[in-house]
Amino acid sequence: MRTETENKSTALGSTLLKSVSKPGRYAGGEYGQTLKDKTAVKARFAFAFPDSYEIGMSNLGMRILYGALNREDDIWCERVFTPWEDMQDKMRAHDLPLCALESGDPIGEFDFLGFTLQYEMCYTNVLNMLALSHIPLRAEARGENDPIVIGGGPCAYNPEPVAPFFDLFNIGEGEEMLPEIVRLYIKMKDEGRYTRADFLHEAAATISGVYVPSLYEVTYNEDGTVKAYTPLYDDIPKTVQKRIVKDLDKAYFPDEVVMPYIETVQDRITVEVGRGCIRGCRFCQAGMVYRPVREKTPAVIDCQARALFDRTGYEEMSLSSLSISDYTRVDELTDMLLSWTNDHMVSLSLPSLRADSFTRELMEKVSSIRNSTITFAPEAGSQRLRDVINKNLYEEDLMRAVNVAFEAGKNQVKLYFMQGHPTETDEDLAEIPALAHRVVSAYYQNPNRGKGGRPPQVTISVSPFIPKPFTPFQWEAQDSLEEMRRKQAYVGECVTDRKVKYNHHDAETCRIEAVLARGDRRLADALELGCREGFKFDAWSEYFNYEKWMSVFERTGIDPAFYANRAWGLDEVLPWDIIDCGVTKAFLKRERAKAYEAATTPNCREGCSGCGANKLGGERACCPKTK
Amino acid sequence: MLSKDKMSYPKLTEPRTVRVKFRKVGNLQYISHLDLQRTISRVLVRAGIPMWYTQGFNPHAKIVFGLPLSVGAESECEYLDLRIDRDMSCEEIKQRLNSVLTDELCVLDAYVAPKTVFADIVWAEYDIRIRAEGLTEALADEMQTYLTTSPLMMDKKSKSGIRQVDITTLTRSLRATVVDGELRIAAVLCVSGADYLNPEYLIRALRERFGIMPEDDVVSEYSILRTRVYLADGETEFN
Repeated sequence: MRTETENKSTALGSTLLKSVSKPGRYAGGEYGQTLKDKTAVKARFAFAFPDSYEIGMSNLGMRILYGALNREDDIWCERVFTPWEDMQDKMRAHDLPLCALESGDPIGEFDFLGFTLQYEMCYTNVLNMLALSHIPLRAEARGENDPIVIGGGPCAYNPEPVAPFFDLFNIGEGEEMLPEIVRLYIKMKDEGRYTRADFLHEAAATISGVYVPSLYEVTYNEDGTVKAYTPLYDDIPKTVQKRIVKDLDKAYFPDEVVMPYIETVQDRITVEVGRGCIRGCRFCQAGMVYRPVREKTPAVIDCQARALFDRTGYEEMSLSSLSISDYTRVDELTDMLLSWTNDHMVSLSLPSLRADSFTRELMEKVSSIRNSTITFAPEAGSQRLRDVINKNLYEEDLMRAVNVAFEAGKNQVKLYFMQGHPTETDEDLAEIPALAHRVVSAYYQNPNRGKGGRPPQVTISVSPFIPKPFTPFQWEAQDSLEEMRRKQAYVGECVTDRKVKYNHHDAETCRIEAVLARGDRRLADALELGCREGFKFDAWSEYFNYEKWMSVFERTGIDPAFYANRAWGLDEVLPWDIIDCGVTKAFLKRERAKAYEAATTPNCREGCSGCGANKLGGERACCPKTK
Repeated sequence: MLSKDKMSYPKLTEPRTVRVKFRKVGNLQYISHLDLQRTISRVLVRAGIPMWYTQGFNPHAKIVFGLPLSVGAESECEYLDLRIDRDMSCEEIKQRLNSVLTDELCVLDAYVAPKTVFADIVWAEYDIRIRAEGLTEALADEMQTYLTTSPLMMDKKSKSGIRQVDITTLTRSLRATVVDGELRIAAVLCVSGADYLNPEYLIRALRERFGIMPEDDVVSEYSILRTRVYLADGETEFN
């Protein structure tokens, strides 16, 4: 018997799929995918992750939004990822358009194309995917039949470098906003009053969190800084306030996962315990833009976790949070989960543990006990500099944490640091290897360390500082490329123990990331030129080429130092001033001033420091309510 | 019935081996053997199959897979053996598995495993179809003669390196015809150990000799479907 299950994609012949690497990336057909009758739905949405299938399928946000859209009967959301280079070459050679995984239909036929922007270095893939879909790169060049191109995710907090390529941005949490946008589209079509321009205008005027960049005129000062953003209409907001989901217990959370057949980066159950972080590290964008801190109740999390286990069969579960040990009811939650996960041989992992809340009790609960490595992020080597960045972590905390790990039989410690924080000196830098050396000594001094006699290994991983929008350090200069390299070499010279392994992040990539992170709309010309010259997968070191980036900047009149290496004026209009992320500029300025005094700020639970995010509300938030 | 907790089934005194015959077609042809193994272990969990776990330091479910199937080939006769420790009927196991699988990867049969082992499988029958320009009955005859006339030497890759092999010695039977402009090859090829002949070799041989379906041709299509597997005599079907 032969079943007539031909590959649904007519555009991609089977000969093609049989000739590329990892064809499972393009095949679709996974258990848990949503199939609908395309003639019966009113809007089709292509959810695009601008990186490889293996990266994109690991993203929790995509899982949530895929489900949130597909639970609407008349909306069909499908997935699309960046084809790997071999596939792109073949698609271009044969003029084959980019297609969605579920239906195999070309992306250009969809009503919406939504990109999640998780990191700046994916911007070239966004343009690449538009080009592969035969959709005009610039929003202004699109016609009535082209998809509405939407952007969201963390990079949408400064969407300006890519603003000319998007029709609309989602600012903030999308699980309510995105269906509302599609519903408005359906309504206007049903009522026969849809035009692209009218839809974008009405969405900007009526849906909170929607930013339509074409409806704002940007002017610049003679020195190149932004002068003003002027709305073209009176009925659209002067600044676009971030949207949040008020009650995470009631927010949609998927009870089903599209199960990838090929191995992905995070091939496991991920359950969210809360959003936001109480800590307020001054370099950290996530710690600011996800405020206010809101939690789910343990029973809700447990129920969602169990449903996901039943529907997936995954053998590993990860609790997602910016700082899991700060979850107020972490003991109650882990006990609840362990009451069934052990019986079903599901292992629990708790990423992003802070050293100061790392206890033996907590460690014994999690699977990483089988693993011989434990990871912490002190972020700076000296106490002075940790105070500057408001890490609120003391060396005693770290030493206590590593000793707990050593006594549990672990012998490998990974420590994450940054270089180039404001006020940093070479003495601060020398403290990074010195701290690692003290961790090695602590291992030998601990009489209760695990048996086995294996020597300890301490890996220090150092990334250059990148000033990010909506952080107290958003005005700071990044070190020049030469200085970043000098510091990298200097830290290396200070490592004197072979039990300490030193890694550092690529300085050139970090410089481009800094340019894009603080960029304005003028950068779009450089990105477009890069796209035409074949830029792709810039988050992958094998594709990233610094000289090519410098070349497109030069030819489009962009001075990268203006964006990356300049100390921005506190009174300057910032490209991202068009967005209101909840946290006020006054708070960021106060925090910046405290950084220069090496003064710390208590975390949200110890005391409210008045960041302003509480105006957004939120249930089970740790903020004082505003009137 | 399917929602019943697997723990409520009576415990077996000895673990029981259940043989599962399954289909792997369509999009699933692009999934490698290793990825399939990982997928199946999760499928067994979500289906609530009462798996017997190895008793060692790192307990894991016992699953034995049959012949690997090359990426890009489909099959109606894949096998795996699994071991259960509770008395769940084979029919229920089949139903439970199919409730958490798709049509492209689904269970065709489940039964208590007989004495045979997967190493007993020596031959497999394939249905190969090629859709390309200019296929005629006369050309099909020529192709059949070419593929069955010894010696037809090809470089064959194996773990020990590349060696020259006369692929007709690994072919038990082969017939090529044209139906509605589509070339159909019915072939029984060796699948035993180092003599395993990937049907892609036939495609390659035709490509090199007759120039059909050049490497970068995306218009023409071909498919390879494994339809039956046999013991060493080439006649007794494996079960």
